[in-house]
Amino acid sequence: MSMPSLAQLPMSVARVPGVAIVLVVLSAIFALTSPGFASPANIANILTQSTILLLLALPMTVIIMTEGLDLSMGAVLTFASIVLAITVLASGSPVLGFFAALAVGSCFGLANGLLIAVLDIPPFITTLGTLGVAQGLSLLATDGQSVVGIPRSIENIYSGALAGIPLPVIIAAIAYCGTHALLYHTRFGTYVFALGGNREALKMAGISVRGVLIRAYVLGGLMAGFAALLMTARLNSAHPTAGIGMEFDAIAAVAVGGTSFERGNGWLLGTLLGVVAVGVLRNGLNLLAVRSSAQVACIGALVIIALFIDGLRAEP
Amino acid sequence: MTVAPLFELQGISKEFPGIKALDDVSLEIRAGEVHMLVGENGAGKSTLMKVLCGAYRADRGSFFHNGKQVAISDPAAAREFGIAVIFQDFTLVPYLDIAQNIFLGRELSGRVPGLIDRRGIYTEARRVLDMIGFDVNPRTLVHRLGVAQQQMVEIAKALSQQARILVMDEPTAALSEREIERLFAIVARLKQSGVAIIYISHRLSEVFALGDRITVLRDGRKIASLLPGATTADQLVTLMVGRSVDSTYSRPSRPAPGEVVLDVRNLAGPSGLAGITLNVRAGEIVGLSGLVGSGRTEVARAIFGADRAITGEIRLFGERTGGSAEDSVRRGMALIPENRKTQGLALARSVGDNIVLAGLRRLFPSGMFLPARAMKAARSIIEKLRIATPTPRRPVATLSGGNQQKVVLGKWLNAGARFFIFDEPTRGIDVGAKAEIFRLLDGLVHNGAAVLMISSEQIEIVRICDRAYVMRDKRIVGELSGNELTEANIVRLGTHQ
Repeated sequence: MSMPSLAQLPMSVARVPGVAIVLVVLSAIFALTSPGFASPANIANILTQSTILLLLALPMTVIIMTEGLDLSMGAVLTFASIVLAITVLASGSPVLGFFAALAVGSCFGLANGLLIAVLDIPPFITTLGTLGVAQGLSLLATDGQSVVGIPRSIENIYSGALAGIPLPVIIAAIAYCGTHALLYHTRFGTYVFALGGNREALKMAGISVRGVLIRAYVLGGLMAGFAALLMTARLNSAHPTAGIGMEFDAIAAVAVGGTSFERGNGWLLGTLLGVVAVGVLRNGLNLLAVRSSAQVACIGALVIIALFIDGLRAEP
Repeated sequence: MTVAPLFELQGISKEFPGIKALDDVSLEIRAGEVHMLVGENGAGKSTLMKVLCGAYRADRGSFFHNGKQVAISDPAAAREFGIAVIFQDFTLVPYLDIAQNIFLGRELSGRVPGLIDRRGIYTEARRVLDMIGFDVNPRTLVHRLGVAQQQMVEIAKALSQQARILVMDEPTAALSEREIERLFAIVARLKQSGVAIIYISHRLSEVFALGDRITVLRDGRKIASLLPGATTADQLVTLMVGRSVDSTYSRPSRPAPGEVVLDVRNLAGPSGLAGITLNVRAGEIVGLSGLVGSGRTEVARAIFGADRAITGEIRLFGERTGGSAEDSVRRGMALIPENRKTQGLALARSVGDNIVLAGLRRLFPSGMFLPARAMKAARSIIEKLRIATPTPRRPVATLSGGNQQKVVLGKWLNAGARFFIFDEPTRGIDVGAKAEIFRLLDGLVHNGAAVLMISSEQIEIVRICDRAYVMRDKRIVGELSGNELTEANIVRLGTHQ
């Protein structure tokens, strides 16, 4: 193969996914407008802050590939975080609290999966319902107050580092690699592609569609449980509104990353880039002192722009 | 002495609410034999095959494998006996690659517990693909493949499952001439290696070219089982339709055509179309012929406004069209697409809903939907086109292919269309229904409508059309009419001199 000539260059640029273009452009803008943006400390900060979102966006990719949706993730994360904090306060054992959070997440995931796969209730409705349940339980358990006074050891999970790498980043990296292996190197992952792409093909192959669906939502709940640990550690407390709207960021990151809502067309690396793009956007806007409510609007615009770029290149 | 057949179905019956799909059907499947299954749409061929592969459970009847009675309760059980089906609607996953599709549900386990041996899958896939001489990288995602290639993947998938009985449901329906030749070669190769093939086809030429045995189904019953040497095409058609029809429908003489309805000048489109100039007059059927990929469908879509044309002029009833599908429909144009399942019908909705869909504006000018009026309109169309459905409320998906095609046509008739473009109207439709579709086309032009018809079957163009344009490489290379309109001339223009 010869080196690409100048004439071929625009063609290869045209093949770069929209999310990568968005990420580069955003980074360039913020690097020029806010002096602190490109500093190593801030970059580490962006990555650390993106970890919670990544833990939600990874299973969200899988779920969206099955032509589903999980709106309950943010609320489940919140409730799991509260259960974690209360358990730790009651028992004094951070490990017990951690497992309680995972149990809460898995139960909600299982409930979502059963309602969707067995009772055939549409994912949007099902998870909107469980969102309400989890949010309500959070407020009920706390009376709307924060749960404070948890031991320092939990906080260290978020602020600690291993060989100079922040612990959350390591956790997120493990989660990413695990999900990658799950999606691309296991039967389950293959069936996720098939579920969104051609459900009939899966049935004809003698695979239980319900089983795959249920596992996808359990994965979502479980990862929300993991994310609850990071969230609790980050806030050093549990707050009944801490995770509100995180599912919005997660869905946005998946969409920005180029995963389609139909035909089982998913791209996990795109989700990672999408999460970082959302993180860069939030961080940059913070540095520019843009209010949080305006940031939500910017993320919405980000989704539209990224999909617009992808759409442009889909034309022949 | 007689050897027990490889597989045998005896007295199979299957009922759906209101329809007896199969009634006491028996079938003998022998190794190394191509068994042709023919019959009109709705005769029960597909149902029988779904029973064989375990997708449906028979209400009554028994199965014998090598003379021993067995049960087929689900697809897995059917696979145990080496039964594999290649359906018309492929069971492939678009964003998995060829190898992953071939091994869907049967992934090889890797050394690490829980993980798949992807390399092993590619090696194995390569081996199976080589068996049918399909030279393609097994890592190619399936959504990048054409229909013929996807079919190859389906065949490879079946072979990798050690299929001993391969069911092919209208395998040539979407293939070009060359691809069909390749498929036939593969069928011959499979047959030689002792695979039993059940081949469903509407093309009688194939039935005689490939078949070792022919079974005719009609209205869910087995009508006859015969050898191709002992029967003729006409006899076969008579058996299929249960009445004597002229299988070679020929066009009744039509009065001289009227004013020009469609006038296209110098159309050039984004997909490479160039210099497309053609016209269609009231009361005539004009053919658009050429090889698959020569640009026929692109012309149809450009005229309809489904794809925007870059340059050129399209006049409908003397007025320039706005170049959008909405505008075309408003002016009385209808495009009946090739792929009716995805482009022409809302499959899950009822026959009635589909019929009134395009005519809502005309039927309910006030914007208020009146169910009784919709029902009445639907009933009149159902009666007019003789659509075989007990009620307008039945989902379109449950109708046979020919009747689905009628629903699409009914939709446009109800919308008041006066100019029709048909893209392969007879694709996947049996002989009896074909003649009926042609009668419908004839009825349309008889009432003053104009028709542009795309067809891959030259014989259809010759017999049905008053004139025909022939395309090659995205251009119109000739216009044929009268005595010049012959199969030979179409082929000559469409290929190379």
